[in-house]
Amino acid sequence: MTRYILKRILSGIFTIWVTTIAVTLLIHLVPGDPVQIMFAQSQSTTPEQIEQIRSQLGLDRPIYEQYFMYMGRILQGDFGTTIRGNQPVLELLLVRLPNTLALALSALLITMLVGVPIGFFAAYKRGTWLDTSLMTGAIIGISIPSFWLGLMLMYVFSIRLGWLPVSGTDFKNLILPAVTLGLANAAAVSRLTRSSMLDVLSQDYMRTARAKGLAETLVLSRHALRNGLINVVNMLGLQFTYMMGGAIVVENVFAWNGIGRLAIQSIFQRDYPTIQGFILIFATVVVVVSIVLDILYVWIDPRIKYS
Amino acid sequence: MTQPVATLSNTSIAAAKVKDFGQFLKRLLKSPSAKMGGSICLVLVVTAIFAPVIAPHDPTELGVGAALTPPNSEFWFGTDEFGRDLFSRMVYGSRLTLYVGLIAVGISMTVGVLTGLVAGYVGGWVETALMRAVDVLFSFTETLIALAAVAVLGPSLTNAMIAVGISSIPFYARITYGAVLVEKNKEYFKAAQAVGAQHVRLLFRHILPNILSPIIVVATVGVSVAVLSASALSFLGLGAQPPSPEWGAMLAAGRDYFKRAPWITTFPGLAIAITVLGFNLLGDALREALDPQQRT
Repeated sequence: MTRYILKRILSGIFTIWVTTIAVTLLIHLVPGDPVQIMFAQSQSTTPEQIEQIRSQLGLDRPIYEQYFMYMGRILQGDFGTTIRGNQPVLELLLVRLPNTLALALSALLITMLVGVPIGFFAAYKRGTWLDTSLMTGAIIGISIPSFWLGLMLMYVFSIRLGWLPVSGTDFKNLILPAVTLGLANAAAVSRLTRSSMLDVLSQDYMRTARAKGLAETLVLSRHALRNGLINVVNMLGLQFTYMMGGAIVVENVFAWNGIGRLAIQSIFQRDYPTIQGFILIFATVVVVVSIVLDILYVWIDPRIKYS
Repeated sequence: MTQPVATLSNTSIAAAKVKDFGQFLKRLLKSPSAKMGGSICLVLVVTAIFAPVIAPHDPTELGVGAALTPPNSEFWFGTDEFGRDLFSRMVYGSRLTLYVGLIAVGISMTVGVLTGLVAGYVGGWVETALMRAVDVLFSFTETLIALAAVAVLGPSLTNAMIAVGISSIPFYARITYGAVLVEKNKEYFKAAQAVGAQHVRLLFRHILPNILSPIIVVATVGVSVAVLSASALSFLGLGAQPPSPEWGAMLAAGRDYFKRAPWITTFPGLAIAITVLGFNLLGDALREALDPQQRT
C-alpha cells in the first residue's frame, strides 16, 4: 500500500510539473503578439510600456529561460500580477479558492445523497416500473445543461417564490449553485451506482446471506450497500474533478465569487498571468484531492492490493 | 493454393459479419431508446437541412415582431429583445448545434483514435510517452482543457469547436489503446503479421475495423458531450457571438430579460436538453445492441 501511495504521489507531482510547462507554453501558442492582444482593449498603453511588460513577463528571452524564471517565481509564491489593476494573481486566486471548494464539495455531497439511493433502488427493483422511471429520469438528468438548470431553479426559487437570493456570497447563496451542480451530476452517479449494485446483488454471498435467513434489511445494508459503496467511494475522485469543472460554469450563472468566475473574466480580458495562475491552481487542487480520495479508497477497501 | 483458401475464409467472414450486423440491427430496432433517440436525432438533422423552408423568418432580421412578444400563434416561441422571431432562430440554431457536435467529435475522434492506435501498436517509449500525455490530460477536466484552448485561440464558435474537440481526445485515445492491446493478442492479428502484412495494413485493415464498435458508441455519446460543452462555452460568452442563433448564446442573451421574458431562455435550454438526450439514448441503445452481454 505504501508503494501505491508513493506511486500515486509521484504521478501527481509529474502531472503538476507537466502543467507548469503547458502554462509557460500557453502564452506562446496565442496567435499573434500576446502582449499586443492583452493591451488591445486599453488605448492609453504606449509602445514603451508594452516593451516594458514584455520584458517583465520575460517574453524577450529564450523559452527555456522563461520557464526557469516562471518556475523560480512560482516556487517563491509569486504568480505575477494582473494586467489591469496590477493585483497579485496568487492572492486573488487564494481569496476565491475556498468559495469554489465550498461549492464543489457541497455539490459532491448532494450528488452522492441523491445519486446513490436512486441507483441503489433502481438496481434493487431491477426491471420494474420504478427502475425504468428512475433510469429514465437519470438519462433526462444527464442531458440537461447545468447552466440552464441553474437558471430555471433561480427562476422558480428566487424570482417566483422568493425563497432564496439570486446571488451573493453567504451560505444561503450557496444553496442554489450547489443544488444545480449536485443534481446535474447526481444523474450520472445514479447510473454508475445502479450498475455497480447490480453486480453486487448478483454475487453468491448475497444468495448465501438470504439462504441463512437474514432479514432483507440486513442483507441489503450489511452485504449489498456496504460492498456497493466501495465502488461509489472509488468514483469520488473522478466526481470531484467533474464538480470542479462544472463549478466554473455554475459560478458564472449565480455570480458566485470563485476562481471559475475569475477565470472567465480573465479570458475576456486576455489577462494571461491570471489565466496561467488559474490553470496551475486548479490542476494542483484536482490532483491533490484526487490523490487523497484514492488513498482513502485503498484504506477503506483493504482487499485491494495495488502494486 | 493460398489464394482460394483466403477467398473462402474471407467469404465466410463476410457472411458472418452480415449475419452479425443483421442481429445487431434487429436488437437496435427493438430498443425503445434507439427509437426515441433516433427520432430526436432525425428531427434535428431534418430541421438543420430544411431550415430555410421551416423557419418563417430570417433568424437575424430585427423587428419582425414587437420586442419581447410572448409565444403566440404568429411567433410560436415568442420574440427576443430585438423583435427577432425565436422559432426561426432556434431552427437555424439546429444547424450550428449539429455542426459543432460533428466537427468537435471529428477532431477528438481522429486525433484520439490515431494516438491510441499508434501507442497500442508501436509500444515501447512511444506508448509510454503518448499514454502518459493522455493520462495527464485525463487528470484535468474537459472544461479546463477547453478553457485553456479558448484562452489561447480567442472566443469564437470555431475556436469553441476546436477547444471542445481537443478536450475529448483523451477519451478516444484510452478506449482505442485498450482495444488495440486486446486485438494485438488475437490469432487473426498474429496470422496477418506472420504473412508479412505492412504496418499500415495491419493497423487500418485489421485492427481498426475490429475496434470500431466501442469507438462508435463513444462517438455517439460524444456528440451529446460536445453539444453540451460548446453551448456552455457560448453561454459563458466564449463561443458563438451575437447575433449568431447558437442556442447557448441565445440562452445567455436571454438572461438579461429573464424576469420579463423567460421564454428566451426556456426554449433554447429545452432544445439543448432534448438534442443531448437524443444522442445519449442512441448511444445507450448502440452499446446494448453491439454488446448484449453488457446489458444491465
